[in-house]
Amino acid sequence: MRAERIAIPLGKALAVAAILLWSLFPIAFIALSSLKPGQEIFAVPPKYVFTPTLSHYVELWRGWRGFFAGLLNSVIVTAGATLLAVAASTCAGYVYARHGGRLLNASVAGLIVVRLIPPIVVTLPLFPIVNALRLNDTHAVLIILYAAFFVSLGTVLMRTFIQQIPRELDEAAAIDGASRLTTLWRIIVPLALPGVLAVSVFVIVYSWNEFLFAFIFTATRAKTAPLVMSEMIGSIDGVDWGILFAAATVQLAPVLLFVLFMNRYLVAGLTAGSTKG
Amino acid sequence: MTDHSRFRLSRRALLAAGGATMLGGHAARADGKTLNVLSHKVHQTVLGTGDGDLMKDWRKANNADIAFTTFDSNPLQDRLFREASLAETEFGVGYLIDNRPTSQIAALFEPLQPRQDKSPIEDFADIAPGLVRGMTIDGKLIGIPVRHATQGLFYNEALLEEAGITAPPTTLEELVAQAKKTSFTSKAGTPVVGMVLASDLAVFPVMFARAFGGDFISADFKLVPNPAAMESGLETLRAMFEAGSLPRSYATTKNDDQVTWLQQGRAAFTVLPFARFAQLNDAGQSKYPGRIKAMEFPVAAALKGKTPMAAVVEAWAMAIPKNAKDKDLAWSFIREVSSKRVTLGMAINGNGPVRVSTYADPALQAKNPVAAVEARALANARGAFPPFPEAARAQATFLEEVQLAVLGRKPVKEAVAAIVTRVKPMMPA
Repeated sequence: MRAERIAIPLGKALAVAAILLWSLFPIAFIALSSLKPGQEIFAVPPKYVFTPTLSHYVELWRGWRGFFAGLLNSVIVTAGATLLAVAASTCAGYVYARHGGRLLNASVAGLIVVRLIPPIVVTLPLFPIVNALRLNDTHAVLIILYAAFFVSLGTVLMRTFIQQIPRELDEAAAIDGASRLTTLWRIIVPLALPGVLAVSVFVIVYSWNEFLFAFIFTATRAKTAPLVMSEMIGSIDGVDWGILFAAATVQLAPVLLFVLFMNRYLVAGLTAGSTKG
Repeated sequence: MTDHSRFRLSRRALLAAGGATMLGGHAARADGKTLNVLSHKVHQTVLGTGDGDLMKDWRKANNADIAFTTFDSNPLQDRLFREASLAETEFGVGYLIDNRPTSQIAALFEPLQPRQDKSPIEDFADIAPGLVRGMTIDGKLIGIPVRHATQGLFYNEALLEEAGITAPPTTLEELVAQAKKTSFTSKAGTPVVGMVLASDLAVFPVMFARAFGGDFISADFKLVPNPAAMESGLETLRAMFEAGSLPRSYATTKNDDQVTWLQQGRAAFTVLPFARFAQLNDAGQSKYPGRIKAMEFPVAAALKGKTPMAAVVEAWAMAIPKNAKDKDLAWSFIREVSSKRVTLGMAINGNGPVRVSTYADPALQAKNPVAAVEARALANARGAFPPFPEAARAQATFLEEVQLAVLGRKPVKEAVAAIVTRVKPMMPA
């Protein structure tokens, strides 16, 4: 019994430690390697004690200005996609939450199916269309695509959040003369804010890291940071791992901090509706 | 009501201002000419920047700017072919790898001979004829060579000394023996393997086959023209693996590992393009700056002095998509980049020069210690295999059989027979 009392917490602690090691090791390796002198990054045996240097960050700034332009593009695209996806998901989620009907309910399954389509399937047929619309290499094309890709999941999430808000509030607002839009904006959205934030987290993480659409549909003006990083892994002139790890750290930091900050909303989003009924 | 109207008005004003800003941006861009170039970052880098910009005179003379869009090799080729297959493309020049243009792909690009006849490139005959042939598809010149990467043998002089080796190998047999001798733990405590090679590129087994006078697919599309030589090449690789002269992780070793292993003193020999010389000896990355040397890959003793080694070369060329808008401006750019002055400038910046005369330049020889040996290797070099529609699948099949043979999972003779049987249906008619 006493052994059991020790073994169970110890087992749990070991399991948590293993998961932490598994999750954090790559991040720690990248961040620490960005501060190591180039010769020591892949030294065998590995060097755990080293004099940190910012030289890779300086070189990144000097030699890869395009990376910082790419970061700015990533910010624009991520912000735009998030606003669009959240707005569309909230409106659609409200309709799904407040209106019934067999067709409407069945279409929820359709939303989930849409989300299961691999991006590459829609990417190639879209290429000539995007070109014909002259949207190639614009922020707009990425904003539309990223938002479109997340509206389905966002709608399902928002529907679940809004369903938890009593309908009586809508009715009270209607009696007071509020329109549907006013009710949504002034009553529903403030109460469903955790859902809005949860959807935002998903869209932000996806848009910030996305590669495939950005690769296919951008060239110079709207090129995002992950694309520039892929160039750093270029096979012709060799990889400067220190610079690459510095870029990876810069790219990782904002989204990592954001996810840590918004962690509870992410969990709320993942578990939304799980205790219903 | 008034408030509501004011709100709508300001929203419209905002949209109008945004639209005007966007239009304004486009108008500003439309003032001067811009040549859009689709290339690898390295092609942009070697043209220099600021005071070292090799194209500044061209920009001024043509009142044009050059906008590079850069990708890594494979994504670049993918994008270039997709752009060239549209009704119209913004890109005037695309950089093309010599093993990609099949007849179908070549048809997407402008034939350049008429332009060369009308407005010729300076001393065109000086550009390596083998590289020009590689860009002549179905009798049409579709690309002007601009860069080559010829494979050479790199060795860590310090590790050879530690193993008591006083001179690098002169034959393939000596290379095998030296690789075995340098598979040891160095004085620094680092476990060293004699040779590190990536297992996912056809370049290396092809080099070993050629060292015995064989090949995978010859320039005239003969599949494994000398099976005995291919068997000898693979037997050599297999013996090296069994002796521990190749890494135990051979099956998962990549091209980048070759660079880091040599820089870190984890391998004594490797095969890489001569252009990697600077990176391998970079004091910021390498533990052995100045001690990593390069030489031509040696042939087998039986061929020494009789048949020169045909190293594998990969070349890049500049092409004009048929659907490009301003082809005259694109050709003008190609002529300038191909000039002797710019070719030399790019070579000094680390480009593999395509002009024979460039190697004789003292400035290049001073800057690049392996220029002379690279020029010798280039003289007999050819691509790993010629382009054809099923080339990627043929390479994957070839590598699958090579790996089975090297790892001892299949007898070498059977693997070579399987290469012939399996790749034959993929060959062009």
